[in-house]
Amino acid sequence: MTVSPSPSASPLTVSITVNDAAYRKTIDVRTSLLDFLRETLGLTGTKKGCDHGQCGACTVHVNGRRINSCLQLAAMHDGDDITTVEGLARDGLLHPVQAAFLQRDGFQCGYCTPGQIMSAVALLSEPCGSGDADVAEAMSGNICRCGAYENIVAAIQDARHKLDA
Amino acid sequence: MSTIGQPVDRVDGSLKVTGAATYAADCRLTNMLYGVPVGSTIAAGELLSLDLSAARATPGVVEIFHHDNFEKLREAPSTGMPDGPDPIVDERRPPLSDTKIRYYGQYIALVVAETFEAASEGAMLVRATYRPTDPATPLGGEPTGPPREENARGDVDSAFAAAPVRIDAVYETPVETHNPIELHATVAAWADGRVTLYETTQAVVNHRRVLSVMLGVPTSHVRVISHFLGSGFGGKLWPWPQSPLAAAAARTLQRPVKVVVTRPMMFQNVGHRPYTHQRVRIAAERDGTIVALDHDSYNTTSILDDYEESCGEGTPSFYGAPNLRVRSALRRRHTGTPTAMRGPGAVPGLFATESATNELADALQIDPVQLRIQNEPEHDLSLKVPFSSRHYVECLTLGAQRFGWQNRSAEIGSMRAEDQTILGWGVAGASWIAERFAADVSIELRDDDSAEIRCATQDIGTGTYTMLAQIAAHELAIPLERVHVTLGDTDLPPGPISGGSMVTASIIPAIVRAARSAREQLARNGGSKATGHGSSPATFGEEHPTVSRHSYGAHFVEIGWQPQLGRLRVRRIVTVIDAGRIINPKTARNQIAGAMVMGVGMALLEETIYDSRTLEPLNRNLADYKVATNADVPAMDVTFLDYPDTHVNELGARGVGEIGLAGVAAAIAAAAHHATGVRVRALPITIEKLLL
Repeated sequence: MTVSPSPSASPLTVSITVNDAAYRKTIDVRTSLLDFLRETLGLTGTKKGCDHGQCGACTVHVNGRRINSCLQLAAMHDGDDITTVEGLARDGLLHPVQAAFLQRDGFQCGYCTPGQIMSAVALLSEPCGSGDADVAEAMSGNICRCGAYENIVAAIQDARHKLDA
Repeated sequence: MSTIGQPVDRVDGSLKVTGAATYAADCRLTNMLYGVPVGSTIAAGELLSLDLSAARATPGVVEIFHHDNFEKLREAPSTGMPDGPDPIVDERRPPLSDTKIRYYGQYIALVVAETFEAASEGAMLVRATYRPTDPATPLGGEPTGPPREENARGDVDSAFAAAPVRIDAVYETPVETHNPIELHATVAAWADGRVTLYETTQAVVNHRRVLSVMLGVPTSHVRVISHFLGSGFGGKLWPWPQSPLAAAAARTLQRPVKVVVTRPMMFQNVGHRPYTHQRVRIAAERDGTIVALDHDSYNTTSILDDYEESCGEGTPSFYGAPNLRVRSALRRRHTGTPTAMRGPGAVPGLFATESATNELADALQIDPVQLRIQNEPEHDLSLKVPFSSRHYVECLTLGAQRFGWQNRSAEIGSMRAEDQTILGWGVAGASWIAERFAADVSIELRDDDSAEIRCATQDIGTGTYTMLAQIAAHELAIPLERVHVTLGDTDLPPGPISGGSMVTASIIPAIVRAARSAREQLARNGGSKATGHGSSPATFGEEHPTVSRHSYGAHFVEIGWQPQLGRLRVRRIVTVIDAGRIINPKTARNQIAGAMVMGVGMALLEETIYDSRTLEPLNRNLADYKVATNADVPAMDVTFLDYPDTHVNELGARGVGEIGLAGVAAAIAAAAHHATGVRVRALPITIEKLLL
């Protein structure tokens, strides 16, 4: 079999808004949205855990909805509005979900945490039932190998109650 | 008020919830290159040739390293104690050092390019030709080497033969893979003959020793930085080949190189818990007095390295069997080298011995809690010394009370939930060593009433930053907010490995001494600035210990079994832990609960499956290698007994990293038996094993 260098490696220019900042970047079309955020923009809060859409560590919001950024090409998001974990806190104040994770100890090593938090913030505006089991189910795309799941659910429920109040 | 024993929030918590905590792969350096390793697609044989033409033609590829052009690295010996002067590494052979293939995925090349995308494409285009040989077959059969007697007392064979009630059974635990969510990663940068390694390691000091030997430079020329780790569970204790690969590539190319291991490589190139095969013979008098316990095990290891799991590590001191023997052996096969995984030895070992204890209780028709209490030893019969602080019986009695064990109906399948789900109840005990490594700590008191604590240990997610801040605040009598903690850098005073649940216990004496020396300096010199140093020796590896130091625990499990649906769920676990004084109940509880969750995975889900012909790990991803997710979590009730163990250190704190996992799988297996009548002796307990 003869395999030649991919002709698709030619660069492409995209305009992407990340955390309210507009970026215009010339990228390799093979670059995943995850690698674009981390390696091109230097926003390393979003983590790579599997690069296969199986662990959820790379979860970000695209136009308000949660996605696995490792399964997306950056080239697919020209014109989109992306939010990462770095974009949640406002004026030095933690987002209520971030504050709840801190208070409930919803993590140990912290590596899956940005993905957990981005999933949790998105969940707030999803049709998720009110029970702990509903939250656990809706958060099961985000693996926490440290097993801080119980505290993650408690943190999300705290934040939901606070935001509903 | 002292913060010792208070559930304070993690001091590094805001960094972690905002994405500001930096892990190894987050490091981005000017002019940095990306390395992607190429792995062998056979497990045994010879690499005959590499066709690099297509890979070299890939735009952006800078260099491709392989056995012919990679510098010859030195092999680091692996003989030392964890805090001794000798480097420790489990896979000793330096990467790319010969053309023999000894496991599937063994690195055969490293493609280095200007971008990750170019390096990945180049790596996919490397073509290898092999002469394969048949790999050593995976499981079963006999050990490759002779058994080693680890412990013995009395005459176990005669006592077993003479006893009226006997259990003789074989238990197996599969290969498990640590799978921390953070991938192993190294960023190496050289300047003036010195290298800085941004690493994810549970032992910065040892990592420096190993890389110094492999790279042939003095330890003073190697700096290892690991500010945050995305956990490790033992998989990041000792260096793995991506680190010397990145370091040597960076030295040759005179540019920084980043190598991030892929998730499939996490199953091949960075260790795993080996398969264990354990024959347990346990015998008792009819009144339940255990008279003989024989624990005979072997574990798989790789072709070149002797990794010993030591399944019987906790066996001699757990119950009062007067006749006892612990033996172990190795069986070689063509896989990567195994390594310590959370609770090495004791965790697979207790699955076997605690399962056998439950089988003995059933054979005797004695309550399994009662059987354990009845065989509580008065002292450590193996070491012939008293226990430092042992409250195992209270773990059992309090756990039974919190669980409602008195309502147990012993008959198989006799208990039902309201919806008619069959309930199964099971119990098992836990023990884990409680020792100290050597530690050095320095404290700087500043004139703004703040203090900085420095130690070259690291926080793998267990809460080490927080725990150190609490202890320093306590010893210096200053508010927690005034304490800054600096860890994870070999430029700091040498600290302990994050392994064996020993960081907390190890650091306390050093920090107490450092605080005292700083305070004395202040008293002598006046002013408000001072620097104190504290050092404390290891207890681990003592030749003649005067007390037997362990932590203990008991787990009570309820499972639900719906045979119509083939559905098995762990519904609730009640755990009581005796781990000395708890410095921070918030982080400690999180660790125990997290370990219980891992125990659910170990019992029901986790197994690395190898193709029996090729020894290729088939489920090397997080969809096919199942770990517990949020929806798998049972209701968990965790209680700490909180008896300070002042034989371990001044504050009486031991450690909580491993003890929460030990015993969980045995309790779940007992509960599954109670519900189904099926005795699963080979983990994981999958549905098909219950339906057969």
